[in-house]
Amino acid sequence: MNRDPGLRQRLQEMVPFDWSLLRHIGSEPVPYHLKKWWFCLGGTVLYLFIIQVVTGIALTFYYVPSPDEAYASVAAITREVRFGWFIRSLHKWSAQFMIVAVILHMLRVYFTGAYRRPRQLNWCIGFLLLGTTMTFGFTGYSLVYEQLSFWGATVATNLAEAVPLVGPLLAYFLRGGAEVGENTLTRFYILHIGVLPTVAALLVGLHILLVRLHGVTELHFEGETVREDERHFAFWPEHGTTELMIGVLLMYLLTLTALIFPAGLGAPADPTVTPLHIKPEWYFYFNFRLLKLTSLRLSVVLTLAAGAVAFLWPFIEEWLSRRLKFPDALSVLLGTLAFLSFLVLTVWEAFAG
Amino acid sequence: MSLTVKRYVVAALSFLFLLALLLVAYQESRRFRQEAGLEPVVTVANRGCVDCHRKDGPALVMEWEFSRHAQLGVGCVDCHTAEKGDLDGWTHEGVLISALVTPKDCARCHAREHEEFSGSHHARAGEILASLDNVLAEKAAGMPGNIADAVNGCWQCHGSIVRFKRDLQGQILRVGKEAKPVIDPDTWPNSGMGRLNPDGSKGSCHACHSRHAFQASLSRSPENCGKCHMGPDHPQIEIYNESKHGIAFYANRGRMNLDKVGEWVLGRDYSAAPTCATCHISSYMTPQGVYTANSHDVGERISWTLRPVVSTKLNMVVYEDGFKEDFPDTRPLPTIGDLVETLEKVVENERLVSRKVSRRVARIVSWEDRRKVMKGACLNCHNDTYVDNFYKQFDDLVVLYNEKFAKPAQALMDELVADGILNSNAPFEHDVQWTFYELWHHEGRRARHGASMMGPDYTHWHGMYEVAKHFYVKFLPEVIEAAAAKGPAMKQKYEDRVKRLLGRDEHVWQKGLSPQEAEALRKMYEERYNQ
Amino acid sequence: MMNESITHTVTRRDLLASVAMAAGLIISYGVLGIQGLMFLLPERLRPRTRRLFAGQLDGYRAGGVQVFFDLSGNEILIRRAPAGLTAFDSTCPHLGCRVHWEEDQQRFFCPCHRGVFNPDGVGISGPPAAAGQSLAAVPVEVDEKSGVVYIEVKDIRKRRA
Repeated sequence: MNRDPGLRQRLQEMVPFDWSLLRHIGSEPVPYHLKKWWFCLGGTVLYLFIIQVVTGIALTFYYVPSPDEAYASVAAITREVRFGWFIRSLHKWSAQFMIVAVILHMLRVYFTGAYRRPRQLNWCIGFLLLGTTMTFGFTGYSLVYEQLSFWGATVATNLAEAVPLVGPLLAYFLRGGAEVGENTLTRFYILHIGVLPTVAALLVGLHILLVRLHGVTELHFEGETVREDERHFAFWPEHGTTELMIGVLLMYLLTLTALIFPAGLGAPADPTVTPLHIKPEWYFYFNFRLLKLTSLRLSVVLTLAAGAVAFLWPFIEEWLSRRLKFPDALSVLLGTLAFLSFLVLTVWEAFAG
Repeated sequence: MSLTVKRYVVAALSFLFLLALLLVAYQESRRFRQEAGLEPVVTVANRGCVDCHRKDGPALVMEWEFSRHAQLGVGCVDCHTAEKGDLDGWTHEGVLISALVTPKDCARCHAREHEEFSGSHHARAGEILASLDNVLAEKAAGMPGNIADAVNGCWQCHGSIVRFKRDLQGQILRVGKEAKPVIDPDTWPNSGMGRLNPDGSKGSCHACHSRHAFQASLSRSPENCGKCHMGPDHPQIEIYNESKHGIAFYANRGRMNLDKVGEWVLGRDYSAAPTCATCHISSYMTPQGVYTANSHDVGERISWTLRPVVSTKLNMVVYEDGFKEDFPDTRPLPTIGDLVETLEKVVENERLVSRKVSRRVARIVSWEDRRKVMKGACLNCHNDTYVDNFYKQFDDLVVLYNEKFAKPAQALMDELVADGILNSNAPFEHDVQWTFYELWHHEGRRARHGASMMGPDYTHWHGMYEVAKHFYVKFLPEVIEAAAAKGPAMKQKYEDRVKRLLGRDEHVWQKGLSPQEAEALRKMYEERYNQ
Repeated sequence: MMNESITHTVTRRDLLASVAMAAGLIISYGVLGIQGLMFLLPERLRPRTRRLFAGQLDGYRAGGVQVFFDLSGNEILIRRAPAGLTAFDSTCPHLGCRVHWEEDQQRFFCPCHRGVFNPDGVGISGPPAAAGQSLAAVPVEVDEKSGVVYIEVKDIRKRRA
């Protein structure tokens, strides 16, 4: 820039940052396989998270976190506020898409072995992000204060009781008392708009930072021939434009979904009337089905155990492969089995009614 | 894809996204225009009532809140307010009110409907209290000191005379710290159509427009009319349910637009089926492209009266003060401007009395005119040949009933009275009187109503078949039996009379079919059933 | 870790694509932004109104005034003028006191600072007149068939008690 060298210098004094560093980051070479859509799921999740934050903040302008007024405020958003139904539907569908994207992203990372050394920590962070996302979904749904919101929260906090050692304390903390009541709603609200977004932002920041520090996992696919000069491409503008594409595509799909399947409202929560069928959101079906197949304690313990194994998988796999002959195929098999069990349990619960 | 292509793709996707957003904007504007369920408005005047009665009678308040009245801020006081001097008024929590809301009260806003209604037969429904029907309820089924049959039965459809409990001086009894007037419990609660109210008005709007939600959909539904227009003596709802009209209605309830606020016009707001209201009250589209106004005078479109022993066509004379009188076609019509001595029933000293009032004729509506208005509704779905042919079929049935059974039976009964066999002061002394009563009042009416509203089974099996059977098998023999009680001479006289009657063309079949007819009958049974 | 940066030369074709992309993004996200803004701003441009029952025409004496209330609790003064019914918000435009109708003087009077309005609501004496103020008119309508009078007042969203 040939403007006012004095001005530039003064700005540089005020903010002594090496701006050329940004260009350096921006021109990070991205491995060519990121041109494949399968590898853009992480960006998808990030973009959907941003949408959730934006629409979520908008919704807090009208939502009232009190048992007496929560439902009415959601009804007002849906029926009276201009574009309220649209913002709410975007928020709802973005949540659904986000959870699907997170699961698919995890699958991709697992089956391309990108969790392996030296990226184990990022896998753990990612897993925590999975938990955070599902907690977002759970707390968010409870805020609507429909029948299922209330009773779903009741069932979930009862499940929390069964966690070994800390269960009762955890449940008491979540509920803000012995029963689901007005403390519960405020707690879920604070979790949903304060605690979880902060945690998520920190974790996402770390997650992306680690990816950048490690660099994207280089992959070599069997039988593929790639020219050396095509092995990498610039983050900006190539990959950035890809991300833009994904972003606009997502907006388009979300808008269509919001138009065709706008978010509705069930009956308002009634602590004195238990509905005949209580069901959690679909991403908890696997847990619910497990609960029905075993007992409360057993299902919680099993879930926690499976979760712990999954969380520590990179380390476990490393330890196993050092001790035994642990071929890749076995990893793939285990991963497939794990995902299939999740799928089977989920679908079973969905159709069992 | 190359960067350039990617950018174009982004541009294209943005365009699609924009289109979707425009759809969102369109959807948003449509939502705006939809009439949102408006919340009830509790005005300052009604605040006190609502706050207390929300605890003491919450469902009532909730129903009011659901009503269109509430959306416009019309509340308790607006309908229940009383004026000084009202017999049924008292000061309740500082406000002068009456629990009884009469057509006069409703007329404060719904003046046109009140005017139409007050001249109608609905408003006059309470006037049967001096009729044979009443005798049956109060005397035949009731006892001195207990006319609960009339109170719970007849009066609940026809309407009671609302009376008060009085002290020995004749003053209305009042109780409690608010000096609330004591209503005769036999006369209230009552939402009979022709209830005679203390303020002189006739009728009860909430007989059809159930309070306190006053739902239009309820008033327009056939079940509403069916509360009273049912049963052995006038099974209109049963006939409607049998008919194609009723079938169409019940299959298409969701398309009837029953909740429409404001006018509800056949041929514009709904088309699937007529309800009672459609033909007898409501608006319909005319070929001129405009719609007729509705009318709460339910008799306006009636051309036959199917009520009496012998049906007649009905002309209508409208007097200058708005009073309406039906003139059977047997009664000569006056001309416009004539003074006619009309007979009006009013309540004096809590009793129904007949009053002679001289009125001047303003307008005459012939039975043909009345039928034309009814046909206007039919013509929305059916063409004129269809409609005219229907009316011929209907007319023929009424004439058949009249000529073959009603008139001869009436003539015989008149003769029995003239001969002193029957005492007109003892209307149900002999079997024949009961049989005759049911012949015209029950079976005969069922037949005529069945034909009027296309209920074939009611026309025939519940109707003319029973008329015919009871005429031959019960009525005629009972005539002779009654005469026999007065001596052998009378018995002979009436045997001859009946024999002469049975010798007529239409009755001679009883003695036997013609040989050809008999043969055809035998063959039919053999071919079809092998019997 | 590779530190090479890959550079591009910008061509005219690229420019057109970039412009198309930028325009698309700005317009589409811009519309979304506008919708979001409309969401955040409670309706101001078209305040919704409610029709309220305000008596029957027959109940109004010629030249007489009846008082009804709007949804905020303000008195609405409805007068039967020779030409028809007129309705005014009784809030004085000067400093918000309550104005009332004086039959004998045929005027609307505000006791706070002795503001006077003529039967058409126009300020004719006192502070309102000095400022050229009038009483806010309220739309009033008479239903032909029934003679019922309605006033059109601002709808305020109330939560159920």
